[in-house]
Amino acid sequence: MDFLPFLVTQCLNALSQAALLFFLGCGLTLIFGIMRIVNFAHGAFFMLGAYVGYSTVHWTGNFWAALIVAPILVGAFGAAFELGILRQLYGRDGHAFLMVTFGLTLIMGEVIRLIWGVEALQVKPPDSLSDIVFILDEPFPVYRLFLVGAGIVVAVVIWQFLERTRLGLLIRATSQNAEMVHALGTDVRLVRSAVFGIGCGLAGIGGVMAAPLVTASLGMAPNAVIDTFVIVIIGGMGSFLGSLIGAVLVAFVQVFGTYYFPDFALAFMYLIMVTVLVVRPGGLLGKEA
Amino acid sequence: MTGTSGFSRRTLLGATLASPVVLRHALGDEPIKIGMPCALTGPGGEVGEQMRRGAEFWIKFVNAKGGLLGRPIKLYAQDTGGDPATAVRKAQDVVERDGCRLLFGMTLSSEALAVVPKLAEWNAIFMSSDNGDGRLTGESFVPNFFRANTSGPMGTRAVALYLRQADFKNFYAIGMDYAWGRNSIGVFKDEVKKSGKNFIADVYSPIGTKDFSTYITKIRQSGADACYIVMQGDDNNAFLSQARQYRLGDKVQLLTEIVDLNSIHAVGDAAIGLIGGSRYTFTFPGEANAQFVAAWKKEYGNVPDVFEGEQWQACQVLQAGIEKAGGIDADKLRPALETVEIDSIKGRVTMRACDHQGVQKGFMVKVVQKEGFKEPIPDLIATFPADQVTPACRQMTYDS
Repeated sequence: MDFLPFLVTQCLNALSQAALLFFLGCGLTLIFGIMRIVNFAHGAFFMLGAYVGYSTVHWTGNFWAALIVAPILVGAFGAAFELGILRQLYGRDGHAFLMVTFGLTLIMGEVIRLIWGVEALQVKPPDSLSDIVFILDEPFPVYRLFLVGAGIVVAVVIWQFLERTRLGLLIRATSQNAEMVHALGTDVRLVRSAVFGIGCGLAGIGGVMAAPLVTASLGMAPNAVIDTFVIVIIGGMGSFLGSLIGAVLVAFVQVFGTYYFPDFALAFMYLIMVTVLVVRPGGLLGKEA
Repeated sequence: MTGTSGFSRRTLLGATLASPVVLRHALGDEPIKIGMPCALTGPGGEVGEQMRRGAEFWIKFVNAKGGLLGRPIKLYAQDTGGDPATAVRKAQDVVERDGCRLLFGMTLSSEALAVVPKLAEWNAIFMSSDNGDGRLTGESFVPNFFRANTSGPMGTRAVALYLRQADFKNFYAIGMDYAWGRNSIGVFKDEVKKSGKNFIADVYSPIGTKDFSTYITKIRQSGADACYIVMQGDDNNAFLSQARQYRLGDKVQLLTEIVDLNSIHAVGDAAIGLIGGSRYTFTFPGEANAQFVAAWKKEYGNVPDVFEGEQWQACQVLQAGIEKAGGIDADKLRPALETVEIDSIKGRVTMRACDHQGVQKGFMVKVVQKEGFKEPIPDLIATFPADQVTPACRQMTYDS
């Protein structure tokens, strides 16, 4: 393989990986920005997305339907969880949220195991995405290109949503000064529920998108939650753009690092994190820096 | 007073006479307790579940026939999450709290390697049904450890013997970055070199890797015509799914140490064409296997997978040992197990005294789509005799 095709395909690989990481990181960071809580259950919502996606594809035979159903269901479940349980805890300190969201991870893992079983489940992308295209004579899966495209679309949509819509405005305002927003007559509690739901829904989309690459399996949650935390810490807790930069940075370093130094594959992500924390303790775009 | 004393003497006499009977009866009901700390969750979860199902099936079968030595068998299964430290703790739990002196489980080799040094202290026998690491019957061998299953080196050896007769010339290898992956690829590398073929390079992916695109690129670029894969569970599924998306199989023949139904089920068509060793497959010939598969289908409604078959075989070996020893006391059971020889679902299995490895045949299968089956199935393509597959005592490599 020549250098140019190698470079191009590797960059596309990295971008497709970044897209998946972004779906996770962006949801987590939105939730943190508004609620100042670390959602340990984020990986579990990601996993739930994959399983709901599997069932939707199984019943309807349509992957596109899964891309709509999974985020809505997972998002609704997330919002319900916020309404029913998290809302009781806002007076308490951060530990309470850690315990409750971590507990939710365990419960969701067990419930998913009971409903769908322990065996990994195959989620087939639609035929139109299962093909390959030749990029500079190198075969490349269409599905990966689709991931890159989906990542860009979602990033633009969320950015526009945060910048241009009224709810987006409220979300930004709440993340800066919740009490003031409340005093001005907006029900901050509703904003919180909405953000928690949106964040979980994004994790759900990520789960459906990841499923054709890794199958829907019970190992998804713990793996995903660690990656997500790293990205959010690198980008800066609560920063939307930070999560995007974090995802792209981690994916590129991961892809090229693994290629040239496979023995350190596991270390790269943490290496970036440590470097960022030393240079800018609040993350690249974090506020507390 | 006299009467009372006479009565009490008679009662005493009666009690003395009766006591051995009472005692024997009580012992007869005393269950044979087997502890099974295994990975029911985490990356090894699927394999662990298979092992547990295999053990439960055997126990149900034996208990329905009146138990073993007239005693019912009771299983104490525990989830280790695939973590060696947890495995040691859970094993200690079942031994000290539940009183088990027999152990199954320890899904990952790393768990088994952590547990075996404690077996002597616990006076417990551990019958492995899936541990691959060659060191367990090599440098880390302990007298209370037995391995009824095909080990990693043995699985790789079958693949190597097959390769000698196949056309591939340049090999690449990818494995999960832990004991089993490195161990198996080490053996494979040796075998390739011995057969005069070219081994290009090996690469190891961390456990839990989700994106294999970089590794797939490396394999494509290497110019290899065959790639040996040593992976399991989620990692294996992710690798095969993605390899299929990159059409890696068009350019490189994918070989694997273990072909199992779970991963075929998980990746579907992406498994077609995969050639690999098989520790056990329901398509194996023989009456014993046909009966086992039929009974399994009746119980669970599907065919048994690799580790369900391997667990069944391990149970058969243990059962033969216990029947021979007349009990489960480690000092009696150990010598009995050392000479066990049974006809199992995989053919003849002979336990040997020198390293407690079950000597057995090696098998190669190819994943094909066959009529009458919804999913692709492993089809037997070659069988190698036990003496060629099993390494010399306490060895993990082969001289020829």
